Amino acid sequence: MKRVLVVDDEESIRLLYKEELEEEGYAVEVARDGLEALEQLPLFKPDIVTLDIKMPRLNGIETLKRIREIERRLPIIMCSAYGEFKQDLTTWASDAYVVKCADLTELKNTIRRLLGLP
Amino acid sequence: MSVHSDDYAFLKTTIELSTSSLPIEEKIKQILQSTTDHFHPDRSLHIRPEAILKGGFLSRVAEKREALWVDEKRPFQEEAILVQEKDLVCPTFACLPLSEEPSRSGIFYIGFSKSRTFSSAEMDLLLLLAKELGSAIQNDHLLKATEKTLSDLKAIHRMGQVVTSTLNLEELLAHIVHTGLKILKAQGGVLRIGQEDSEELRVRYSIGSYHQNPLDERIAKKVFLSRTPLSLTPETEEKPFSSLLCAPLFSKERGIGTLAFYDKQSDSSRFDERDLQLLLTMANQMSCAIENAITYHEISSMALDHERRVRQLSILWELNKALLTTVNFERIVHMTLTAITIGDGLGFNRAMLFLVDEKDHTLKGLMAIGPNSAEEAGEIWSTLSQRKGNPSELIAQIEPSMNNPSRLNAMVKEIQIPLEHEQCILSRTVLEGRPFNVKLPHGQEEWVQTRCERGCALVSEVGCYVSEHLSQNPKVYAFATIPLWGKGKVIGVILVDNLYNQNPITDEDIRYLTMFSNQAGLAIENAMLYRNLEEVHQELKETQSFLVHQEKMAALGELSTSIAHEIRNPIVSIGGFARRLDRALPDDAPEKRYTRTIVKEVERIENILSHILTYTHEAAPSFKPLDLREVMEDSLSMISEGFRNGGVQLSRDFSEQIPTVKGDYYQLKQAFFNLINNAYESMKGEGTLSIRIYPQSINGASFVKVEVEDMGGGIDPEALHHIFNPFYTTKDNRLGLGLPIIHKIVTSHQGKIEVNNHPGEGVTFILTLPAQEEKEK
Repeated sequence: MKRVLVVDDEESIRLLYKEELEEEGYAVEVARDGLEALEQLPLFKPDIVTLDIKMPRLNGIETLKRIREIERRLPIIMCSAYGEFKQDLTTWASDAYVVKCADLTELKNTIRRLLGLP
Repeated sequence: MSVHSDDYAFLKTTIELSTSSLPIEEKIKQILQSTTDHFHPDRSLHIRPEAILKGGFLSRVAEKREALWVDEKRPFQEEAILVQEKDLVCPTFACLPLSEEPSRSGIFYIGFSKSRTFSSAEMDLLLLLAKELGSAIQNDHLLKATEKTLSDLKAIHRMGQVVTSTLNLEELLAHIVHTGLKILKAQGGVLRIGQEDSEELRVRYSIGSYHQNPLDERIAKKVFLSRTPLSLTPETEEKPFSSLLCAPLFSKERGIGTLAFYDKQSDSSRFDERDLQLLLTMANQMSCAIENAITYHEISSMALDHERRVRQLSILWELNKALLTTVNFERIVHMTLTAITIGDGLGFNRAMLFLVDEKDHTLKGLMAIGPNSAEEAGEIWSTLSQRKGNPSELIAQIEPSMNNPSRLNAMVKEIQIPLEHEQCILSRTVLEGRPFNVKLPHGQEEWVQTRCERGCALVSEVGCYVSEHLSQNPKVYAFATIPLWGKGKVIGVILVDNLYNQNPITDEDIRYLTMFSNQAGLAIENAMLYRNLEEVHQELKETQSFLVHQEKMAALGELSTSIAHEIRNPIVSIGGFARRLDRALPDDAPEKRYTRTIVKEVERIENILSHILTYTHEAAPSFKPLDLREVMEDSLSMISEGFRNGGVQLSRDFSEQIPTVKGDYYQLKQAFFNLINNAYESMKGEGTLSIRIYPQSINGASFVKVEVEDMGGGIDPEALHHIFNPFYTTKDNRLGLGLPIIHKIVTSHQGKIEVNNHPGEGVTFILTLPAQEEKEK
């Protein structure tokens, strides 16, 4: 079972993503910000990470940098309410960029694609 | 003393004769006859003064003024007797001097061949006789002198009348010569007047052909310079005249001229001293009159000149007043040219204005005013002559029509002349800053000489240009150009001509025109500056409103971006859980309706949010060559579902050859989508939605046009002005952020958007996008 780490400061989003992705058959763990995510990383050993950008303490762009220092190949999906970082150099190190949307089809498809699932 | 009755009768007869009205010659003859009858002498004579020869005894009698008695008692003691006098010496005779001046009256002689003695009574009687005879002769002298003086006075009076009869110089001079001719009974006369600035004498009036003789001029000059009269009677036969009088005319030290008369009317007689005196008196008299007339002539021509100047100045003032009524450039130019051509103004037939273009260094035709043909000119002049009022009022009434339809105007607008051209009169007017008055060549010869190689009527190429175009017959084309001065520089040229009435253009006209155009130049320059100012002002206003708009956009961007982001997270949760709920509910559950509604409304909110974020945040677009037909098809596919289900018909009209447009695919797709979606929604399920794409060429540049026409009833005209304003809200659902986004996208593609609104029917949006240029491909 593939493990997904959802990093988001909004509790409702964490809950929605967790339930929806678990329904898709993933093991899901959540973190409230970048620092928590970095703590979770060695413990949970996720196969893929969804990373919000605007978060307190440590934001998504900073977190992306830190993760890349440790895990070069871990797939990371930037998942933000902001569309404007999509073509931004600050997120170039991520594997995908999905603008948050009530319809999670795009996110689910992207995860499947990055994990090489059918 | 007793008087013999015979003696009494003799005396009576003598006195009667001497006081009679008989001519003097007859008187003398009859008195001598009566003497002979009374004394019975052998001879009785009246010896005329001219017959008293010098050196003879008669002359001594005349000198002594004493009677000489010779008779038996008084022998003749004179020794010196002239041969001519020998006859008179006889035994008894007497010589009695007549009056106190025998040199003027003569001597009475009475002689007897017999020796006898004069009785004292006889001597008394003879002395009385001599006295009577003398006084008769003297009276006659006096009478003649009086008559002569009277006739001279009459002549002078007549001359006086003549010289005061008129102040017209030409008339006066003619009168003088004619009257002088009559008084002096001459055959010809010449009057010369000296020129003010030179010593030249000019013939002003002449009778006969004497003035053609070079001698006449030489004499006149000599008399004029020496101020001495001349009386000439040439001896030789060959002279062209037999007698001449010439008098100088001068007054108060100032020489006026000369007056000469030739030849008495009776061939034999010549001018005498008296004639000369008469002429001098006349000359004196007429000098004053001529001077007066000349002064009058000068003053009246000065007055005329002043009057003309005052009229010119008042017209200039009127015209300037008219020019001051406006700062509108076109109007001022039109007024200027009208003022030059209007009869009450400067009165030229046609006027053309050329302005200097400093950027191109050329002279460009701007406007022309004037009739197209002689017939039209006649009509205009007769209309204008019926109008009343000041020139300023007339000119102010004239409405400038910028679409001045005249051929001349159209032609002048076409003219462009490079300013370097030194052969060109128009450009020389600018370069040299002075007027040119190009007059008609006088003769065929000159005409041929001034033809240039291009076959032009004038020396210059532009002259040629001008005459080729501006005159039907360049041979008779005269015109003038004057520079139009602004502040310290020539800003243009005015060309004027009198093509229709062929009035010559005088230097005075040019001076007048220059005075006016100096004013007009300033007015035109001011109007130009004002126009520039207005343009700049307009630009500034546009820039300002653009900046304000930009600022609004920026504020909106900041605000809406932060709001949109804040809203997005809760919306995602709401929508996400609603979907979960919806999926969890069985299809027949009554709550399914609620969850569906939540999901749909959340989708709407998310759409609005992404619109806001697209509008306010410009993701760097990537420009690529696009076929707008393909972009349109992609946009259509996003809503083609709607066309399939509803009653709205779609009509596509795409041209086969469409140039590519360099643009951002996503942005244009969004713009097209918004357009179609707005149209579709406004039509409420019925009617035809037409889409047209076609190429268009505007001023040589290539564009692609996209038209979307709906039948949705159009837009409320009041809302029309605000449809591209993102802050404007209305109930009409098409006027959300859709149109401002389209506007923004089209503008960022250097295109434009137009709206053809037909309230109650529908609306057509027309996008014009620049096609990719050939070389860019």
